[in-house]
Amino acid sequence: MTLSNHESIDIIGARLVDPNSGIDGISNLYVREGRLYHQKPSSEPGQRIISGDELIVLPGFLDLRTHCRVPGDSKAETITSLTEAAAKGGFTSILTMPDTNPHCDNPATIRYIQDRVNQDSKIRVYISGALTIQSKGESMSPLGSLKDVGVVAVTDCPFTPKNNQIFLNALKYADMFGLVIIDFPQDSYLSRNTHAHESFLSLKMGLSGSPRLAEELAVQRSILISKHLDIPIHLSSISSKGSVKLIKEAKGAGIKISADVSAHHLLLDHKIIEDYQTNAKIAPPLREETDRMELIFAVQQGTIDSCNSSHQPYAEHHKNVEFDLAPAGAIGLETAALTFIESIQGKDPFKLLAEKMSYNPHKILRLNPPSLKDNCAANFTVIKQDNPWIYKKENSFSQSFNTPLDKYKFKHKIILTYSEKGIAYIDKP
Amino acid sequence: MAMISWTRKSLLTIEELKPDEISLILDTADSIKSISDKTDPIFSSLKGKRIINLFMEPSTRTRVAFEVAAKSLGADIISITGEASSLTKGETLKDTAMNVQALGADAIIIRHSSPGSPLFLSKMVEVPIINAGDGAHEHPSQALLDIYTLREKLGDLKNKKITILGDILFSRVARSNLWGLTKLGAKVTLAGPTTLVPADFKLLGATVTHDTQTALKDADAVMLLRIQHERQSASHFPSLSEYANVFGLGPLSLEWMKEKAIILHPGPLNRGVEIDSALADSSRSVILEQVSNGIAVRMAIMHLCISKCLDKPL
Repeated sequence: MTLSNHESIDIIGARLVDPNSGIDGISNLYVREGRLYHQKPSSEPGQRIISGDELIVLPGFLDLRTHCRVPGDSKAETITSLTEAAAKGGFTSILTMPDTNPHCDNPATIRYIQDRVNQDSKIRVYISGALTIQSKGESMSPLGSLKDVGVVAVTDCPFTPKNNQIFLNALKYADMFGLVIIDFPQDSYLSRNTHAHESFLSLKMGLSGSPRLAEELAVQRSILISKHLDIPIHLSSISSKGSVKLIKEAKGAGIKISADVSAHHLLLDHKIIEDYQTNAKIAPPLREETDRMELIFAVQQGTIDSCNSSHQPYAEHHKNVEFDLAPAGAIGLETAALTFIESIQGKDPFKLLAEKMSYNPHKILRLNPPSLKDNCAANFTVIKQDNPWIYKKENSFSQSFNTPLDKYKFKHKIILTYSEKGIAYIDKP
Repeated sequence: MAMISWTRKSLLTIEELKPDEISLILDTADSIKSISDKTDPIFSSLKGKRIINLFMEPSTRTRVAFEVAAKSLGADIISITGEASSLTKGETLKDTAMNVQALGADAIIIRHSSPGSPLFLSKMVEVPIINAGDGAHEHPSQALLDIYTLREKLGDLKNKKITILGDILFSRVARSNLWGLTKLGAKVTLAGPTTLVPADFKLLGATVTHDTQTALKDADAVMLLRIQHERQSASHFPSLSEYANVFGLGPLSLEWMKEKAIILHPGPLNRGVEIDSALADSSRSVILEQVSNGIAVRMAIMHLCISKCLDKPL
């Protein structure tokens, strides 16, 4: 079964923004047989024509943190629902995290996901393997075998090994295979059994809180280990303003550290949990307004390289429970890019969006970023500016509804996502 | 009696109450107590009402006090404990509560280890919810009976100095009392080891100290709290004996306290840890009066929330 749909498209008078080629201007774009052209290749019009100066065309997005529920929890998500949600959010590629059931710590599980993806996905799915068996941080996964079956990155997200010796050796070993190393920096002891950001609010609510220190200690550990081994480490889902400072200093010292932030952390702060809203319980926890402002500044200044969706689907019966019993996580694929735009103050967030959600994530995974250059493979997303719409969880493409952004009014709308397999999403007004 | 009408269906927190609402509950409890002291009255404001006591955590005083209070108002009350419910078979709290409502409950009193669970329930069911303690969040009826007892003993609480000594971090009693006492103008000092008394409570107007003598010397009343073993996931102090030596209320503490300062404790007591056994039984202690007052205060809470009509005779 193939899901390819290489419909020909004419995009007339749109603004093209591509950090890869440096293109930024109004142009026409013609899509034929999966390739992009700036000049119309023939007099024949495209099967689909869209036009308007409110259209922005960006290279396709890549999400660096998608929690896949296949295999293990098809009530929360299937490959079809996951990738359709991603495509609706402008992603032409995603990187899945290894916390499936069974874990992505063996070639058979990876092959199973790949089979499902080949059958059911209209976008590219990259798979990360578990750094350690079941991400327990006790013994290394067969990283060479995982690489052989196509794993591009390794991580224990949403955990990190407690044991420094195992962490160090696993990183050395993974680097031998050219695997990208992603760390989810949270001190296991300080963040254990916590349900919110440690603050006056968590204290008042009677919730045990995870302090910023839980993240900063782990960030500093990764920085020191990266320096010690001279191996690049990508830090996933930074949430603390103190981490931003540490990362900035490390980058200034030439240490091979990169970092991302979830879109939720750019738009929301911890006050949203005041009425024990479990859909806003995420990991790392939403922190304070001062953290949010620092994270936005760090994105603008380049300290934070990319923005992820932190998509963590959970079936309704798992989330609609007492706050401390609910698992941490929210869906985010459909809203991440638009949330990024809402969060970044300024008149023109699109260039930054292309950099943080397309160009840099591809670079971090050591992949060629898609481009809007003439005669390139078509891999792009079209946003219609000033086209307000209300996101409703019941209309979500994801099989799960655990979003903190239900009924949020977005200013702009993604109207087309075109991946290597053709049209992955098209808005039906 | 305060000139305010009661509009709440549920009692979820002290944080949400206005000072006048607190006073109204206390004044209502006063009326109930004074009538009960003089006669053997038959109250009937909850006659025909079916109340479910859903206790997912162990309790002696609170559960029994709610039972006695409900029966005293003419209601039928059925107590369900966590161990004896289908929660042990994997039923969720949401389903348990909806089933309890379907069985004809007119109100649910809930004790649960999860902070926010009464609010969670109030969104699931139509009937009034009374919070009988939710994790480390709040314990409104306990704070109200504490404040009632303090008011009875000390009069107007404005500018009275109340020290709460012990495990503040994990205590729902401390949080509810802090809200309630500060709303009524009392000066609250929180005391105990640095690991159990977060400085952030100063943001609610409390004074924080880790020196027991300082905490005790000006207090008009001292409320002791037990160590909440069930909520602690890490070591917060070296041992119970060290805790008793440094922060326990013993004979030496009496020398530091004002002559007329009273001692409160929400129970259960850990004799020899947070309080010396003889002191717990001394004339300074109002611990058993707190327990008795708990009935009148809980009658007032249930009358106001469940009868939904202040003018309905008791």
